Amino acid sequence: MKDTMNIVGKRVVRSDSLAKVTGRARYTADLKMPNMLVAKVLRSPHPHAKILGIDLSGALKTPGVKAAVSGFDGFGIKWGVFRYTQDHAMLPTDKVRYIGEDVAAVAAVDEETALEALSRIRVDYDPLPAVFDPLEAMREGAPIIHEQYKNNINIHVHIDVGEMDRAMESAFLVREDTFKAAGEAYAMMEPYAVVASYENGFLDLWMPNAGPHVRAKALSNLLKIPLNRVRVRHINSGGAFGGRSEVAPGDLVASLLSIKAERPVKLVLSREENATSSRQVHDIIATIKTGMSKDGAIVAKDFRVVYDGGAYSSTGPIATSIPFYVYEECYRFSNVRYNGYRVITNKGIRGMYGCHGRAFLAGNEAQMDMMAKELGMDPVEIRLKNGLTSGEMTATKSRITSCGLKETIEVTAAKTDFQKRWPKTPKLEGIGMGCIAIMCGFPMGFRSGSSCYLKINDDGYVTLVTGVVDNGQGNESMVIQAASEILGVPMEDINLVNADTEITNLDPGAYSQAAAFVSTNAVKIACEKARKQIVAIAAEKLGVAETDIALKNRLVYSVEKPEKKMPISWVAREAFARADPIAATGTFFPNIDLEREWLSRPWGQMAGTFSYATSVAEVAIDPETGKITIPRFTAAHDCGRAINPMAVEGQIEGSVQQAGVAAITEGNLWDGCHLLNPDLLDYKVPLACDMPEIEAIIVESDDPVGPFGAKEGGIAIRMNAYSAVGCAVTHATGVLFKELPLTPDKVFEMLEKGTEVEG
Amino acid sequence: METVKVTFQVNNEKTVLAVKPNETLLETLRERLDLTGAKESCGIGSCGACTVEVNGLPLRSCIVLTSEMEGADITTIEGLCGEGKLHPLQETFMEQGAVQCGFCTSGMIMTAKNLLDRNDEPTRKDIVNTISSNVCRCTGYKKIVAAVEKAGKYGR
Amino acid sequence: MILPGFEYRKAASVAEAIAFYNDFQGKARYLAGGTDLMPLLKYRLSTPAAVVDLKGIQELGAISADHGWLTIGANVTLFDLKNDPVVKEYFPVLCQSLEATSCETLQMRGTIGGNLLQDTRCIEYNKTMEWRTARGFCLKMGGETCNVVPHSRICLSNYCSDNALSLIALSAEVSLAGPEGDKTTGLEKIFSGCGSRVFALGPGEILTRIRIPMEKSRGVYEKLRVRNSIDYPLAAVAVAMRQNGARVCVGGVGPAPRVYDLTGTDAGSVRDGAQKAYTDARAVPNSTLSPTYRRKMVRALFRRAVNKILSEGK
Ligand SMILES: Cc1cc2nc3c(=O)[nH]c(=O)nc-3n(C[C@H](O)[C@H](O)[C@H](O)COP(=O)(O)OP(=O)(O)OC[C@H]3O[C@@H](n4cnc5c(N)ncnc54)[C@H](O)[C@@H]3O)c2cc1C
Repeated sequence: MKDTMNIVGKRVVRSDSLAKVTGRARYTADLKMPNMLVAKVLRSPHPHAKILGIDLSGALKTPGVKAAVSGFDGFGIKWGVFRYTQDHAMLPTDKVRYIGEDVAAVAAVDEETALEALSRIRVDYDPLPAVFDPLEAMREGAPIIHEQYKNNINIHVHIDVGEMDRAMESAFLVREDTFKAAGEAYAMMEPYAVVASYENGFLDLWMPNAGPHVRAKALSNLLKIPLNRVRVRHINSGGAFGGRSEVAPGDLVASLLSIKAERPVKLVLSREENATSSRQVHDIIATIKTGMSKDGAIVAKDFRVVYDGGAYSSTGPIATSIPFYVYEECYRFSNVRYNGYRVITNKGIRGMYGCHGRAFLAGNEAQMDMMAKELGMDPVEIRLKNGLTSGEMTATKSRITSCGLKETIEVTAAKTDFQKRWPKTPKLEGIGMGCIAIMCGFPMGFRSGSSCYLKINDDGYVTLVTGVVDNGQGNESMVIQAASEILGVPMEDINLVNADTEITNLDPGAYSQAAAFVSTNAVKIACEKARKQIVAIAAEKLGVAETDIALKNRLVYSVEKPEKKMPISWVAREAFARADPIAATGTFFPNIDLEREWLSRPWGQMAGTFSYATSVAEVAIDPETGKITIPRFTAAHDCGRAINPMAVEGQIEGSVQQAGVAAITEGNLWDGCHLLNPDLLDYKVPLACDMPEIEAIIVESDDPVGPFGAKEGGIAIRMNAYSAVGCAVTHATGVLFKELPLTPDKVFEMLEKGTEVEG
Repeated sequence: METVKVTFQVNNEKTVLAVKPNETLLETLRERLDLTGAKESCGIGSCGACTVEVNGLPLRSCIVLTSEMEGADITTIEGLCGEGKLHPLQETFMEQGAVQCGFCTSGMIMTAKNLLDRNDEPTRKDIVNTISSNVCRCTGYKKIVAAVEKAGKYGR
Repeated sequence: MILPGFEYRKAASVAEAIAFYNDFQGKARYLAGGTDLMPLLKYRLSTPAAVVDLKGIQELGAISADHGWLTIGANVTLFDLKNDPVVKEYFPVLCQSLEATSCETLQMRGTIGGNLLQDTRCIEYNKTMEWRTARGFCLKMGGETCNVVPHSRICLSNYCSDNALSLIALSAEVSLAGPEGDKTTGLEKIFSGCGSRVFALGPGEILTRIRIPMEKSRGVYEKLRVRNSIDYPLAAVAVAMRQNGARVCVGGVGPAPRVYDLTGTDAGSVRDGAQKAYTDARAVPNSTLSPTYRRKMVRALFRRAVNKILSEGK
């Protein structure tokens, strides 16, 4: 198929880039509407306190203030992604649970007035004992943050497959280590913003989001407005990385204010608010015990992982599970016990992250290297030995239908001369490898599938309507490219209408790596149906067989006699005249076991397919300062098929930055309940000068079900780049790394320890 | 607060405004002049998303007062393409895939423009040095560097 | 994030700037590039009644070499100074520290005067009003105690100017003009040593120029930071070597730079000097890396910088 394609597989200019390079792309904060008000939120200064009362009267009396709200203006409904995680009121009335939690808000004619009004809101608090460390929070006697979570354990994922204890006992080599990682900041460049406009009983909203339908649903519940009257509209998103997946307190705040004021309301968070009060990433402590046979096969795995979840559930059950699954989707092991605990603490709420799970994943990989060494194997051999292959089942019973893991390992090893260099790198230089798999989509009930609707207009232009969401990855461009391929019209002839709850159908959204595999499949199916209609009419008109028809450059033509041709627009007009316009719907629902549930039934087919990737990092450590440099990074991603190789490379390169280099720079710092780096200065997003030479390699395993063979191109390197760095630093120092990020102070300590051991 | 009267050029248009003394250039551009291409991301000068060109130099408009702009010649991303023709950087950013979410893009381009304006043959090292003034969260910078490199060659 | 309210005045001369300062009863802040001041104002760490813009003062914008001194006006930007041929030829340590300051765009806006007079920094201080209110006000905000070292009564926030270190190593002097008259003093003398009131300047004093003895030097600047651009120093050492010996200046740790005149250049003196700098460094957990580590790095960078110079000389 590859050779016959005109545009899929080509390095095309993304459809959204012209608006972005000219400054014309609109983001939420850019929106302006007549009579629009500015909202500001009053936030909790306490990590844990009872709310005795909230008095808004001072704010309401401030000239220029048009509305003020607190939780007492809502319906007392608590939101949760799952029935058993409904704990988040968004605007609390009982107590506050972290510093920065939304407490009250005002809408005023300008920001100055809004700030003045905030200072006139009186909130009566009764401070309560608080707890910030997840291990302390789990102890008997710790302050309880939500009544329903005993010992503050919000989620316990328990997976037990095979006979772990017996297998561990009989293993040839056993090793247990604990790894820690600081939670990261999403640090998307766009601080969170929302515009809400309530008019004629309809609530319209704009905000950067990864799934408009789930937002609308949540807001419909929280506001008791029928779902069809809550409309989340399309807008550009300045990055999400998993942090914009769920309804946000700001959505509720802006909505309530707009309903009260009967005017549009815009709320834009500051950088600091974005860090403290939108979503953060879990801090993780992972204890990993591994048993191996003499030949290096993993025979048993015993995991205990504690996730610091912050104050509310968020996507807790998913977040507590994903690190384990992406690991089991990569490696073969039949005896495993996983105990994942997500613990509530009095800190900001933690959500899913594109690079989620680094302590667990990098820990597993670095430990594997140490064990391999004892067995006389190198990192490449041990990974090839344990890596899953196509046709195999994961421990929790997902079948792998296409798998390029081996190819990604081999190509990165070859490019870096890994196996030759491994035994004899110069002092304080190291090389490390990290592998991973990831599911393309996961169970989300009836939202697991996607639908697309398309019509061909009388000028031959195409209107494509799909739920696909773009947070900057290029998903919009991807579906346009797919449609362009099938319909034989250039990308610029396709108008995309997407991610609008009123117009577009359900879609898994941009957070389960499903945009290529699921959403693009739906688009492809719709386009193929429309193409059939075009072909039928054209064949008749041109007097050739349908099998002889091809579509290209806005033309329908006979392959055998290319002079027989007509513009697609003519076909479209003919179809209108026949009262049967060219229009089609396509739906794709992946092969997922919908009985599967994160806690109660953690087995069955997780996703329609899985992507694979390998990263290799090369590091050098300054012996005097412990500062790491990463001169080179080689990453190979089996994305099934690269619809736009340039976009896939961009994702790989971004992942090297966000997960790989981040492994030596990024981590949230805390002084108890106070986030010490809620900015872009002390939070260290790597800069151009900190980046290695990157070689991004695309491996194409050609998935049997994926559109054009595609799986996903955005995440896998994000889930293993830190592993490569952790392994490389371990290799360079001879000391197993134990904590991320590997900032110079921690590395220096490793060096000091290493010399102690030696000397 | 006494308002301050300022006269300056924005994208080749003479503009006279009475602004609050504490108004930042970014606020003026975005809110008064509807030039929303420059973005507020960090608000304190640490990321560069708000970079515009003032008197030939890249400036972080979130930490500059409009009051300081008397007589200034300002170019924003919106003013980069003249007569329907894109600036070489705009072309190469698209063509090299240097844009993902796009929120840092206008600041990145304005920063890179200054380098090309004063150096027609920037080395890769020069480019990396210059764009290390700005934070991008999506791209890993590789394609941005490639785009600036290519635009430099176009210019010549 | 909006700024608090204040008036704006633009001065055309030093005298006019001082007059504006007096007009507002001293509740005014001088504004040069604003790259240090504006973030402080945004965070409400300072809420002056007026800002007095110094950029219109022509005489503060020049660099000149005569009478055995290189004289640099306070308004000269870091970028222009970095590219000055005399600086390149005579004062490599300054060139290096300028290159290592923040990032290129900020070097084009930031001035050398503002760079020297930038406020000290602390991870529990450079925060919004809301953040600080939740945390409780510290000494530097007029509170009772330090938030970093419980019960401490002195503020150990970090002075993070890169270029003060190299200028001090080069024995630079600064000229100040104020309501009380003009004076010239060694740069190292303008520090109070206390983080909550960083400079020992009189009210309304303006730094007009900096001068460096025109004597060729060798120099090395060593700066520790996590990212290789934008970031302030976590510890830094400047060394300038001239005919009459080497001068080392240590900064980034604590509220004032510390100067060490190296008596000899043998391995022992270097070791002793580095050890002394280590002993003197009072690192507390007020930045992103651990204090014990930063303190050790003072020693490591000291050794590295001096040894680099010595090996260059060979
Ligand atoms: C993201 C970021 C990173 C940075 N990184 C670094 C770094 O790595 N190293 C570093 O050294 N600095 C750094 N800075 C600080 C700053 O950019 C520089 O120090 C710059 O040189 C300050 O100069 P300015 O002209 O902008 O000062 P301004 O902000 O205008 O002034 C600074 C202070 O000096 C006073 N002042 C200015 N001029 C005079 C004068 N002539 N007389 C009396 N008082 C005066 C002002 O009132 C103010 O208190 C950084 C800043 C930012 C925003």
